[in-house]
Amino acid sequence: MSVNLKRIISSGWTNFKRNSFLSFGTTGVMTLTLLLLLGLLFFQFMTSQVVAELESKVDISAYFKQDAPEDIITSVREELETLPEIDFVEYTSRDEALAEFKERHADNELIQESLAQLEENPLQASLNIKAVDSTQYASIAGFLDDHKFRASIEKINFFENELVITRINKISNGIKTWGLIGTIMLVAIAIMVTFNTIRLTIYSQKQEIEIMRLVGASNWHIRGPYLVEGAFYGIFAAIFALAVAYPSILVSSDKINVFAPSINLLAYFTANLWQVLVALFVAGILLGMISSTIAMNRHLKI
Amino acid sequence: MIKFDNLTKIYEPDSVVLDNVNLHIGQGEFVSLVGQSGAGKTTLMKILTKEELPTKGNAYVDGDDLNDIKGGAVQLLRRKIGNVYQDFKILDGKTAFENVAFALEVSGATQEEIEEDVPRVLAIVGLANKIDSFSHQMSGGEKQRLAIARALIHRPKILLADEPTGNLDMVNGYEVLKLLEKINEFGTTVVLATHDSKLVNTIGKRVITMEKGRVVKDQEHGRYVI
Repeated sequence: MSVNLKRIISSGWTNFKRNSFLSFGTTGVMTLTLLLLLGLLFFQFMTSQVVAELESKVDISAYFKQDAPEDIITSVREELETLPEIDFVEYTSRDEALAEFKERHADNELIQESLAQLEENPLQASLNIKAVDSTQYASIAGFLDDHKFRASIEKINFFENELVITRINKISNGIKTWGLIGTIMLVAIAIMVTFNTIRLTIYSQKQEIEIMRLVGASNWHIRGPYLVEGAFYGIFAAIFALAVAYPSILVSSDKINVFAPSINLLAYFTANLWQVLVALFVAGILLGMISSTIAMNRHLKI
Repeated sequence: MIKFDNLTKIYEPDSVVLDNVNLHIGQGEFVSLVGQSGAGKTTLMKILTKEELPTKGNAYVDGDDLNDIKGGAVQLLRRKIGNVYQDFKILDGKTAFENVAFALEVSGATQEEIEEDVPRVLAIVGLANKIDSFSHQMSGGEKQRLAIARALIHRPKILLADEPTGNLDMVNGYEVLKLLEKINEFGTTVVLATHDSKLVNTIGKRVITMEKGRVVKDQEHGRYVI
Protein backbone atom coordinates (compact mmCIF):
# COMPACT_ATOMS: atom_id res chain seq x y z
CA MET A 1 0.00 0.00 0.00
CA SER A 2 2.74 2.43 0.97
CA VAL A 3 4.60 1.71 -2.28
CA ASN A 4 1.43 2.40 -4.26
CA LEU A 5 0.70 5.57 -2.34
CA LYS A 6 4.26 6.75 -2.93
CA ARG A 7 3.92 6.09 -6.67
CA ILE A 8 0.58 7.90 -6.85
CA ILE A 9 1.86 10.92 -4.92
CA SER A 10 5.06 11.09 -6.93
CA SER A 11 3.23 10.94 -10.24
CA GLY A 12 0.79 13.62 -9.01
CA TRP A 13 3.76 15.77 -8.05
CA THR A 14 5.28 15.23 -11.51
CA ASN A 15 2.03 16.39 -13.12
CA PHE A 16 2.07 19.47 -10.90
CA LYS A 17 5.66 20.29 -11.84
CA ARG A 18 5.24 19.66 -15.57
CA ASN A 19 2.29 22.04 -15.69
CA SER A 20 4.37 24.77 -14.04
CA PHE A 21 2.92 27.68 -16.03
CA LEU A 22 -0.65 26.51 -15.61
CA SER A 23 0.06 25.53 -12.02
CA PHE A 24 1.12 29.08 -11.27
CA GLY A 25 -2.17 30.53 -12.49
CA THR A 26 -4.24 27.87 -10.79
CA THR A 27 -2.44 28.30 -7.49
CA GLY A 28 -2.79 32.09 -7.79
CA VAL A 29 -6.57 32.00 -8.18
CA MET A 30 -6.85 29.53 -5.35
CA THR A 31 -4.63 31.72 -3.15
CA LEU A 32 -6.96 34.67 -3.76
CA THR A 33 -9.93 32.54 -2.79
CA LEU A 34 -8.28 31.40 0.41
CA LEU A 35 -7.23 34.97 1.27
CA LEU A 36 -10.78 36.17 0.87
CA LEU A 37 -11.94 33.32 3.06
CA LEU A 38 -9.35 34.25 5.67
CA GLY A 39 -10.30 37.93 5.43
CA LEU A 40 -13.92 37.01 6.01
CA LEU A 41 -12.93 35.02 9.09
CA PHE A 42 -10.99 37.94 10.55
CA PHE A 43 -13.72 40.41 9.69
CA GLN A 44 -16.19 38.20 11.49
CA PHE A 45 -13.90 38.22 14.52
CA MET A 46 -13.48 42.01 14.47
CA THR A 47 -17.15 42.86 14.13
CA SER A 48 -18.13 40.35 16.76
CA GLN A 49 -15.63 42.00 19.14
CA VAL A 50 -16.94 45.49 18.47
CA VAL A 51 -20.55 44.45 18.76
CA ALA A 52 -19.89 42.47 21.94
CA GLU A 53 -18.21 45.44 23.53
CA LEU A 54 -21.02 47.79 22.60
CA GLU A 55 -23.61 45.30 23.68
CA SER A 56 -22.06 45.07 27.10
CA LYS A 57 -22.74 48.77 27.46
CA VAL A 58 -26.39 48.60 26.52
CA ASP A 59 -29.04 48.47 29.18
CA ILE A 60 -32.45 49.83 29.89
CA SER A 61 -33.48 51.88 32.91
CA ALA A 62 -36.94 52.59 34.24
CA TYR A 63 -37.13 55.72 36.43
CA PHE A 64 -40.02 55.76 38.84
CA LYS A 65 -41.95 58.82 39.84
CA GLN A 66 -40.90 60.26 43.16
CA ASP A 67 -44.17 59.32 44.79
CA ALA A 68 -44.13 55.75 43.49
CA PRO A 69 -44.46 53.43 46.50
CA GLU A 70 -41.66 50.95 47.10
CA ASP A 71 -43.92 47.89 46.88
CA ILE A 72 -44.95 48.80 43.32
CA ILE A 73 -41.31 49.03 42.31
CA THR A 74 -40.60 45.71 44.01
CA SER A 75 -43.51 44.03 42.25
CA VAL A 76 -42.36 45.36 38.86
CA ARG A 77 -38.86 44.13 39.62
CA GLU A 78 -40.07 40.68 40.65
CA GLU A 79 -42.22 40.43 37.58
CA LEU A 80 -39.29 41.41 35.37
CA GLU A 81 -37.09 38.82 36.98
CA THR A 82 -39.44 36.04 35.94
CA LEU A 83 -39.01 36.94 32.26
CA PRO A 84 -36.65 34.52 30.48
CA GLU A 85 -35.00 37.19 28.34
CA ILE A 86 -33.73 39.11 31.39
CA ASP A 87 -30.25 38.58 32.76
CA PHE A 88 -30.56 40.68 35.92
CA VAL A 89 -32.44 43.63 37.35
CA GLU A 90 -30.71 46.10 39.64
CA TYR A 91 -32.75 48.27 41.95
CA THR A 92 -31.47 51.68 43.00
CA SER A 93 -33.61 53.36 45.63
CA ARG A 94 -33.96 57.15 45.83
CA ASP A 95 -31.64 57.26 48.83
CA GLU A 96 -29.03 55.15 47.10
CA ALA A 97 -29.26 57.30 44.02
CA LEU A 98 -28.72 60.40 46.13
CA ALA A 99 -25.77 58.84 47.94
CA GLU A 100 -24.22 57.84 44.65
CA PHE A 101 -24.81 61.25 43.20
CA LYS A 102 -23.24 62.93 46.21
CA GLU A 103 -20.27 60.67 46.08
CA ARG A 104 -19.77 61.21 42.40
CA HIS A 105 -19.79 64.98 42.87
CA ALA A 106 -17.98 65.05 46.20
CA ASP A 107 -15.51 67.58 44.84
CA ASN A 108 -18.11 69.93 43.50
CA GLU A 109 -19.04 72.31 46.30
CA LEU A 110 -21.78 74.01 44.34
CA ILE A 111 -23.66 70.78 43.85
CA GLN A 112 -23.13 69.76 47.45
CA GLU A 113 -24.48 73.09 48.64
CA SER A 114 -27.48 72.98 46.36
CA LEU A 115 -28.31 69.52 47.55
CA ALA A 116 -28.02 70.58 51.16
CA GLN A 117 -30.51 73.33 50.55
CA LEU A 118 -33.11 71.04 49.10
CA GLU A 119 -35.63 69.72 51.49
CA GLU A 120 -36.51 66.68 49.50
CA ASN A 121 -34.44 64.15 47.59
CA PRO A 122 -34.82 65.21 43.92
CA LEU A 123 -33.69 61.87 42.52
CA GLN A 124 -35.81 58.98 41.39
CA ALA A 125 -35.72 55.32 42.19
CA SER A 126 -34.74 53.22 39.18
CA LEU A 127 -34.56 49.68 37.88
CA ASN A 128 -31.56 48.98 35.73
CA ILE A 129 -32.29 46.04 33.46
CA LYS A 130 -29.81 43.89 31.57
CA ALA A 131 -31.08 41.51 28.92
CA VAL A 132 -29.52 38.19 27.90
CA ASP A 133 -29.48 39.30 24.28
CA SER A 134 -29.30 42.85 22.93
CA THR A 135 -32.11 42.26 20.48
CA GLN A 136 -34.54 41.83 23.37
CA TYR A 137 -34.38 45.40 24.70
CA ALA A 138 -37.14 46.60 22.45
CA SER A 139 -39.54 43.97 23.74
CA ILE A 140 -38.55 44.70 27.37
CA ALA A 141 -39.19 48.38 26.78
CA GLY A 142 -42.55 47.44 25.29
CA PHE A 143 -43.34 45.24 28.27
CA LEU A 144 -42.70 48.16 30.67
CA ASP A 145 -44.61 50.56 28.48
CA ASP A 146 -47.72 48.37 28.61
CA HIS A 147 -47.35 47.60 32.29
CA LYS A 148 -50.29 48.16 34.60
CA PHE A 149 -48.05 50.33 36.81
CA ARG A 150 -46.95 52.39 33.83
CA ALA A 151 -48.42 55.42 35.57
CA SER A 152 -45.78 55.11 38.29
CA ILE A 153 -42.97 55.09 35.81
CA GLU A 154 -41.61 58.48 34.89
CA LYS A 155 -39.55 57.43 31.91
CA ILE A 156 -38.01 54.42 30.24
CA ASN A 157 -34.48 55.06 29.11
CA PHE A 158 -33.37 53.13 26.12
CA PHE A 159 -29.64 53.53 25.96
CA GLU A 160 -28.36 55.36 22.92
CA ASN A 161 -25.94 52.59 22.03
CA GLU A 162 -28.89 50.61 20.79
CA LEU A 163 -28.95 52.66 17.64
CA VAL A 164 -25.23 52.23 17.08
CA ILE A 165 -25.50 48.49 17.62
CA THR A 166 -28.32 48.09 15.15
CA ARG A 167 -26.32 50.04 12.64
CA ILE A 168 -23.11 48.05 13.17
CA ASN A 169 -25.04 44.81 12.98
CA LYS A 170 -26.58 45.95 9.73
CA ILE A 171 -23.30 47.03 8.20
CA SER A 172 -21.44 43.90 9.31
CA ASN A 173 -24.21 41.65 8.04
CA GLY A 174 -24.07 43.47 4.72
CA ILE A 175 -20.32 43.07 4.45
CA LYS A 176 -20.57 39.41 5.50
CA THR A 177 -23.21 38.71 2.87
CA TRP A 178 -21.22 40.43 0.12
CA GLY A 179 -18.00 38.83 1.34
CA LEU A 180 -19.68 35.45 1.24
CA ILE A 181 -21.03 36.07 -2.26
CA GLY A 182 -17.54 37.17 -3.35
CA THR A 183 -15.98 34.09 -1.78
CA ILE A 184 -18.51 31.77 -3.41
CA MET A 185 -17.82 33.39 -6.78
CA LEU A 186 -14.07 33.04 -6.31
CA VAL A 187 -14.52 29.45 -5.15
CA ALA A 188 -16.45 28.76 -8.36
CA ILE A 189 -13.74 30.45 -10.45
CA ALA A 190 -10.98 28.57 -8.60
CA ILE A 191 -12.79 25.29 -9.21
CA MET A 192 -13.21 26.09 -12.89
CA VAL A 193 -9.56 27.09 -13.36
CA THR A 194 -8.27 24.03 -11.50
CA PHE A 195 -10.73 21.85 -13.40
CA ASN A 196 -9.37 23.19 -16.66
CA THR A 197 -5.73 22.62 -15.67
CA ILE A 198 -6.44 19.04 -14.71
CA ARG A 199 -8.48 18.50 -17.84
CA LEU A 200 -5.44 19.58 -19.86
CA THR A 201 -3.22 17.18 -17.91
CA ILE A 202 -5.68 14.40 -18.65
CA TYR A 203 -5.63 15.28 -22.36
CA SER A 204 -1.85 15.45 -22.50
CA GLN A 205 -1.62 12.03 -20.87
CA LYS A 206 -4.25 10.37 -23.00
CA GLN A 207 -1.82 7.69 -24.15
CA GLU A 208 -0.56 6.93 -20.65
CA ILE A 209 -4.12 6.62 -19.42
CA GLU A 210 -5.05 4.33 -22.31
CA ILE A 211 -2.08 2.08 -21.61
CA MET A 212 -2.85 2.08 -17.89
CA ARG A 213 -6.36 0.93 -18.69
CA LEU A 214 -5.26 -1.82 -21.02
CA VAL A 215 -2.69 -3.25 -18.64
CA GLY A 216 -5.33 -3.37 -15.91
CA ALA A 217 -4.19 -0.51 -13.67
CA SER A 218 -6.32 -0.12 -10.60
CA ASN A 219 -8.74 2.77 -10.48
CA TRP A 220 -6.65 4.53 -7.88
CA HIS A 221 -3.54 4.32 -9.98
CA ILE A 222 -5.27 6.11 -12.81
CA ARG A 223 -7.29 8.65 -10.84
CA GLY A 224 -5.05 9.07 -7.80
CA PRO A 225 -2.36 11.23 -9.43
CA TYR A 226 -4.95 13.80 -10.59
CA LEU A 227 -6.44 14.00 -7.12
CA VAL A 228 -2.92 14.46 -5.74
CA GLU A 229 -2.23 17.13 -8.35
CA GLY A 230 -5.39 18.99 -7.28
CA ALA A 231 -4.37 18.68 -3.65
CA PHE A 232 -0.95 20.15 -4.45
CA TYR A 233 -2.59 23.26 -5.92
CA GLY A 234 -4.48 23.61 -2.66
CA ILE A 235 -1.42 23.06 -0.48
CA PHE A 236 0.64 25.64 -2.34
CA ALA A 237 -2.27 28.09 -2.38
CA ALA A 238 -2.56 27.70 1.41
CA ILE A 239 1.16 28.36 1.82
CA PHE A 240 0.99 31.48 -0.41
CA ALA A 241 -2.13 32.71 1.36
CA LEU A 242 -0.34 32.42 4.69
CA ALA A 243 2.73 34.15 3.28
CA VAL A 244 0.53 37.10 2.31
CA ALA A 245 -1.76 37.07 5.34
CA TYR A 246 0.82 36.89 8.12
CA PRO A 247 2.82 40.04 7.24
CA SER A 248 -0.44 41.89 6.54
CA ILE A 249 -1.72 41.01 10.00
CA LEU A 250 1.61 41.96 11.54
CA VAL A 251 1.47 45.41 9.95
CA SER A 252 -2.22 46.13 10.40
CA SER A 253 -2.75 44.72 13.89
CA ASP A 254 -1.26 47.74 15.71
CA LYS A 255 -3.11 50.20 13.51
CA ILE A 256 -6.46 48.50 14.11
CA ASN A 257 -5.63 48.41 17.81
CA VAL A 258 -5.43 52.21 17.87
CA PHE A 259 -8.97 52.55 16.51
CA ALA A 260 -10.50 49.69 18.44
CA PRO A 261 -8.53 48.89 21.59
CA SER A 262 -10.52 45.72 22.23
CA ILE A 263 -9.32 44.12 18.99
CA ASN A 264 -5.96 42.45 18.84
CA LEU A 265 -5.81 40.78 15.47
CA LEU A 266 -2.31 39.41 15.91
CA ALA A 267 -3.16 37.86 19.28
CA TYR A 268 -6.28 36.32 17.77
CA PHE A 269 -4.26 34.97 14.87
CA THR A 270 -1.54 33.51 17.10
CA ALA A 271 -4.03 32.08 19.56
CA ASN A 272 -5.93 30.35 16.77
CA LEU A 273 -2.92 29.59 14.59
CA TRP A 274 -3.60 25.86 14.39
CA GLN A 275 -7.25 26.27 13.57
CA VAL A 276 -6.39 28.86 10.90
CA LEU A 277 -3.72 26.59 9.42
CA VAL A 278 -5.98 23.55 9.38
CA ALA A 279 -8.86 25.58 7.91
CA LEU A 280 -6.65 27.01 5.16
CA PHE A 281 -5.06 23.71 4.18
CA VAL A 282 -8.29 21.73 4.39
CA ALA A 283 -10.12 24.37 2.32
CA GLY A 284 -7.30 24.45 -0.25
CA ILE A 285 -6.99 20.68 -0.55
CA LEU A 286 -10.75 20.23 -0.75
CA LEU A 287 -11.01 22.89 -3.46
CA GLY A 288 -8.30 21.16 -5.49
CA MET A 289 -9.66 17.67 -5.04
CA ILE A 290 -13.24 18.64 -5.83
CA SER A 291 -12.03 20.28 -9.06
CA SER A 292 -10.04 17.17 -10.04
CA THR A 293 -12.98 14.93 -9.33
CA ILE A 294 -15.21 17.02 -11.60
CA ALA A 295 -12.53 16.99 -14.33
CA MET A 296 -12.07 13.22 -14.06
CA ASN A 297 -15.78 12.49 -14.05
CA ARG A 298 -16.16 14.46 -17.24
CA HIS A 299 -12.99 13.56 -19.09
CA LEU A 300 -11.57 10.34 -17.74
CA LYS A 301 -13.26 7.11 -18.72
CA ILE A 302 -11.90 3.98 -17.11
CA MET B 1 -11.24 -20.12 -22.41
CA ILE B 2 -13.21 -17.70 -24.59
CA LYS B 3 -16.84 -18.09 -25.53
CA PHE B 4 -19.29 -15.86 -27.36
CA ASP B 5 -23.00 -16.63 -27.11
CA ASN B 6 -25.31 -14.90 -29.61
CA LEU B 7 -23.24 -11.77 -29.27
CA THR B 8 -24.55 -8.66 -31.00
CA LYS B 9 -23.17 -5.16 -30.96
CA ILE B 10 -25.13 -2.31 -32.47
CA TYR B 11 -23.94 1.30 -32.47
CA GLU B 12 -26.94 3.58 -32.27
CA PRO B 13 -29.02 4.04 -34.29
CA ASP B 14 -28.59 1.08 -36.62
CA SER B 15 -24.93 0.27 -37.29
CA VAL B 16 -24.60 -3.46 -36.66
CA VAL B 17 -20.93 -4.26 -35.94
CA LEU B 18 -21.36 -7.76 -34.54
CA ASP B 19 -24.30 -9.85 -35.61
CA ASN B 20 -25.16 -12.88 -33.51
CA VAL B 21 -21.62 -14.21 -33.08
CA ASN B 22 -21.20 -17.70 -31.60
CA LEU B 23 -17.65 -18.88 -30.99
CA HIS B 24 -15.66 -21.06 -28.68
CA ILE B 25 -11.90 -20.80 -28.33
CA GLY B 26 -10.21 -23.42 -26.14
CA GLN B 27 -7.28 -22.99 -23.81
CA GLY B 28 -3.88 -22.96 -25.55
CA GLU B 29 -5.36 -22.43 -29.02
CA PHE B 30 -3.79 -20.17 -31.63
CA VAL B 31 -6.62 -18.53 -33.56
CA SER B 32 -6.37 -16.16 -36.48
CA LEU B 33 -9.32 -13.84 -36.78
CA VAL B 34 -9.43 -12.60 -40.33
CA GLY B 35 -11.57 -10.34 -42.43
CA GLN B 36 -11.56 -6.95 -44.06
CA SER B 37 -11.52 -3.73 -42.10
CA GLY B 38 -14.92 -3.19 -40.50
CA ALA B 39 -15.65 -6.92 -40.25
CA GLY B 40 -15.89 -6.64 -36.46
CA LYS B 41 -12.54 -8.18 -35.39
CA THR B 42 -11.44 -5.27 -33.19
CA THR B 43 -14.86 -4.84 -31.59
CA LEU B 44 -14.91 -8.53 -30.72
CA MET B 45 -11.55 -8.14 -28.98
CA LYS B 46 -12.62 -4.96 -27.20
CA ILE B 47 -15.60 -6.80 -25.79
CA LEU B 48 -13.21 -9.27 -24.18
CA THR B 49 -11.43 -6.48 -22.30
CA LYS B 50 -14.72 -4.69 -21.54
CA GLU B 51 -13.68 -1.63 -23.50
CA GLU B 52 -16.91 -2.20 -25.38
CA LEU B 53 -20.14 -3.65 -24.02
CA PRO B 54 -22.31 -5.98 -26.08
CA THR B 55 -25.80 -4.87 -27.02
CA LYS B 56 -27.10 -8.44 -26.73
CA GLY B 57 -25.70 -11.84 -25.85
CA ASN B 58 -22.90 -12.99 -23.58
CA ALA B 59 -19.13 -13.25 -23.66
CA TYR B 60 -17.16 -15.52 -21.30
CA VAL B 61 -13.50 -15.45 -20.33
CA ASP B 62 -12.12 -18.29 -18.25
CA GLY B 63 -15.70 -19.31 -17.41
CA ASP B 64 -16.77 -15.86 -16.16
CA ASP B 65 -19.69 -14.09 -17.81
CA LEU B 66 -18.36 -10.62 -18.66
CA ASN B 67 -21.78 -9.09 -18.08
CA ASP B 68 -21.31 -9.92 -14.39
CA ILE B 69 -17.83 -8.40 -14.14
CA LYS B 70 -17.98 -4.88 -12.79
CA GLY B 71 -15.92 -2.30 -10.91
CA GLY B 72 -12.53 -3.44 -9.68
CA ALA B 73 -13.02 -6.89 -11.22
CA VAL B 74 -12.62 -5.30 -14.68
CA GLN B 75 -8.98 -4.52 -13.86
CA LEU B 76 -8.41 -8.12 -12.75
CA LEU B 77 -9.94 -9.32 -16.01
CA ARG B 78 -7.63 -7.03 -17.98
CA ARG B 79 -4.59 -8.45 -16.19
CA LYS B 80 -5.62 -11.91 -17.42
CA ILE B 81 -5.54 -10.63 -20.98
CA GLY B 82 -2.50 -9.22 -22.72
CA ASN B 83 -3.08 -6.74 -25.56
CA VAL B 84 -0.92 -5.90 -28.55
CA TYR B 85 -1.90 -3.24 -31.08
CA GLN B 86 -0.91 -2.12 -34.53
CA ASP B 87 0.35 1.26 -33.23
CA PHE B 88 2.39 -0.35 -30.41
CA LYS B 89 1.22 2.14 -27.77
CA ILE B 90 4.70 2.59 -26.32
CA LEU B 91 5.39 5.58 -24.05
CA ASP B 92 8.02 7.70 -25.80
CA GLY B 93 9.44 9.30 -22.68
CA LYS B 94 10.26 5.97 -21.06
CA THR B 95 12.93 3.34 -21.70
CA ALA B 96 12.10 -0.24 -22.65
CA PHE B 97 12.55 -1.27 -19.03
CA GLU B 98 10.32 1.56 -17.79
CA ASN B 99 7.62 0.84 -20.35
CA VAL B 100 7.26 -2.72 -19.11
CA ALA B 101 7.79 -1.75 -15.46
CA PHE B 102 4.99 0.79 -15.80
CA ALA B 103 2.49 -2.02 -16.41
CA LEU B 104 3.61 -3.70 -13.22
CA GLU B 105 3.73 -0.51 -11.16
CA VAL B 106 0.18 0.50 -11.91
CA SER B 107 -1.08 -2.89 -10.85
CA GLY B 108 0.68 -2.60 -7.51
CA ALA B 109 3.76 -4.84 -7.88
CA THR B 110 6.71 -4.37 -5.52
CA GLN B 111 10.05 -2.96 -6.64
CA GLU B 112 11.69 -6.41 -6.23
CA GLU B 113 9.11 -8.07 -8.49
CA ILE B 114 9.63 -5.38 -11.09
CA GLU B 115 13.40 -5.72 -11.06
CA GLU B 116 13.16 -9.47 -11.35
CA ASP B 117 10.36 -9.86 -13.92
CA VAL B 118 11.02 -7.04 -16.41
CA PRO B 119 14.50 -8.14 -17.63
CA ARG B 120 13.26 -11.74 -17.89
CA VAL B 121 10.34 -10.80 -20.13
CA LEU B 122 12.52 -8.48 -22.22
CA ALA B 123 14.89 -11.41 -22.74
CA ILE B 124 12.00 -13.62 -23.89
CA VAL B 125 11.10 -11.14 -26.66
CA GLY B 126 14.77 -10.68 -27.58
CA LEU B 127 15.26 -7.16 -26.26
CA ALA B 128 17.76 -7.91 -23.49
CA ASN B 129 20.25 -5.59 -25.16
CA LYS B 130 17.71 -2.76 -25.53
CA ILE B 131 16.70 -2.57 -21.92
CA ASP B 132 17.69 1.11 -21.53
CA SER B 133 16.73 2.24 -25.03
CA PHE B 134 13.99 4.75 -25.71
CA SER B 135 11.38 4.09 -28.37
CA HIS B 136 13.03 6.43 -30.89
CA GLN B 137 16.13 4.25 -30.67
CA MET B 138 14.18 1.12 -31.69
CA SER B 139 12.92 -0.26 -34.97
CA GLY B 140 9.23 -0.94 -35.56
CA GLY B 141 9.74 -4.66 -34.94
CA GLU B 142 11.53 -3.96 -31.70
CA LYS B 143 8.76 -1.62 -30.57
CA GLN B 144 6.17 -4.30 -31.25
CA ARG B 145 8.23 -6.88 -29.37
CA LEU B 146 8.43 -4.41 -26.50
CA ALA B 147 4.64 -4.09 -26.61
CA ILE B 148 4.40 -7.89 -26.50
CA ALA B 149 6.76 -7.94 -23.51
CA ARG B 150 4.48 -5.50 -21.74
CA ALA B 151 1.45 -7.62 -22.60
CA LEU B 152 3.18 -10.70 -21.18
CA ILE B 153 4.34 -9.17 -17.92
CA HIS B 154 1.21 -10.22 -16.00
CA ARG B 155 1.58 -13.79 -17.35
CA PRO B 156 -1.80 -13.52 -19.07
CA LYS B 157 -3.86 -16.56 -20.02
CA ILE B 158 -4.92 -14.86 -23.23
CA LEU B 159 -2.99 -12.67 -25.64
CA LEU B 160 -5.05 -10.51 -27.99
CA ALA B 161 -3.04 -9.17 -30.92
CA ASP B 162 -4.91 -6.67 -33.09
CA GLU B 163 -3.07 -6.22 -36.40
CA PRO B 164 0.31 -6.50 -34.66
CA THR B 165 2.18 -6.64 -37.98
CA GLY B 166 0.18 -3.89 -39.69
CA ASN B 167 2.94 -1.30 -39.31
CA LEU B 168 5.86 -3.67 -39.92
CA ASP B 169 7.72 -4.88 -42.97
CA MET B 170 7.61 -8.56 -43.89
CA VAL B 171 10.74 -9.64 -42.03
CA ASN B 172 9.75 -7.91 -38.82
CA GLY B 173 6.19 -9.14 -39.29
CA TYR B 174 7.36 -12.74 -39.38
CA GLU B 175 9.54 -12.22 -36.34
CA VAL B 176 6.57 -10.95 -34.37
CA LEU B 177 4.51 -13.89 -35.60
CA LYS B 178 7.20 -16.35 -34.49
CA LEU B 179 7.23 -14.70 -31.08
CA LEU B 180 3.45 -15.09 -30.82
CA GLU B 181 3.79 -18.77 -31.76
CA LYS B 182 6.45 -19.20 -29.10
CA ILE B 183 4.20 -17.60 -26.48
CA ASN B 184 1.43 -19.93 -27.60
CA GLU B 185 3.73 -22.91 -27.10
CA PHE B 186 4.12 -21.86 -23.45
CA GLY B 187 0.35 -22.38 -23.10
CA THR B 188 -1.08 -18.90 -23.64
CA THR B 189 -4.20 -18.68 -25.80
CA VAL B 190 -3.41 -16.34 -28.69
CA VAL B 191 -6.02 -14.53 -30.77
CA LEU B 192 -4.48 -12.77 -33.76
CA ALA B 193 -6.68 -10.37 -35.69
CA THR B 194 -5.26 -9.52 -39.10
CA HIS B 195 -6.08 -8.97 -42.72
CA ASP B 196 -2.60 -10.11 -43.82
CA SER B 197 -3.40 -13.29 -45.77
CA LYS B 198 0.24 -14.32 -46.34
CA LEU B 199 0.94 -14.24 -42.64
CA VAL B 200 -2.14 -16.29 -41.80
CA ASN B 201 -1.38 -18.89 -44.41
CA THR B 202 2.05 -19.60 -42.95
CA ILE B 203 0.61 -20.41 -39.52
CA GLY B 204 -1.56 -23.33 -40.55
CA LYS B 205 -3.78 -23.19 -37.49
CA ARG B 206 -7.42 -22.37 -36.83
CA VAL B 207 -8.75 -19.50 -38.92
CA ILE B 208 -12.04 -17.72 -38.22
CA THR B 209 -13.25 -15.51 -41.04
CA MET B 210 -15.58 -12.60 -40.33
CA GLU B 211 -17.62 -10.51 -42.71
CA LYS B 212 -19.91 -7.61 -41.81
CA GLY B 213 -20.07 -8.64 -38.18
CA ARG B 214 -20.78 -12.32 -38.80
CA VAL B 215 -18.60 -15.43 -38.56
CA VAL B 216 -18.71 -16.80 -42.09
CA LYS B 217 -16.04 -19.49 -41.87
CA ASP B 218 -14.34 -21.38 -39.05
CA GLN B 219 -11.66 -23.88 -40.17
CA GLU B 220 -9.39 -25.99 -37.98
CA HIS B 221 -6.38 -25.69 -40.30
CA GLY B 222 -7.52 -22.87 -42.41
CA ARG B 223 -6.30 -20.43 -44.95
CA TYR B 224 -7.33 -16.87 -45.50
CA VAL B 225 -8.84 -16.53 -48.90
CA ILE B 226 -10.08 -13.15 -49.94
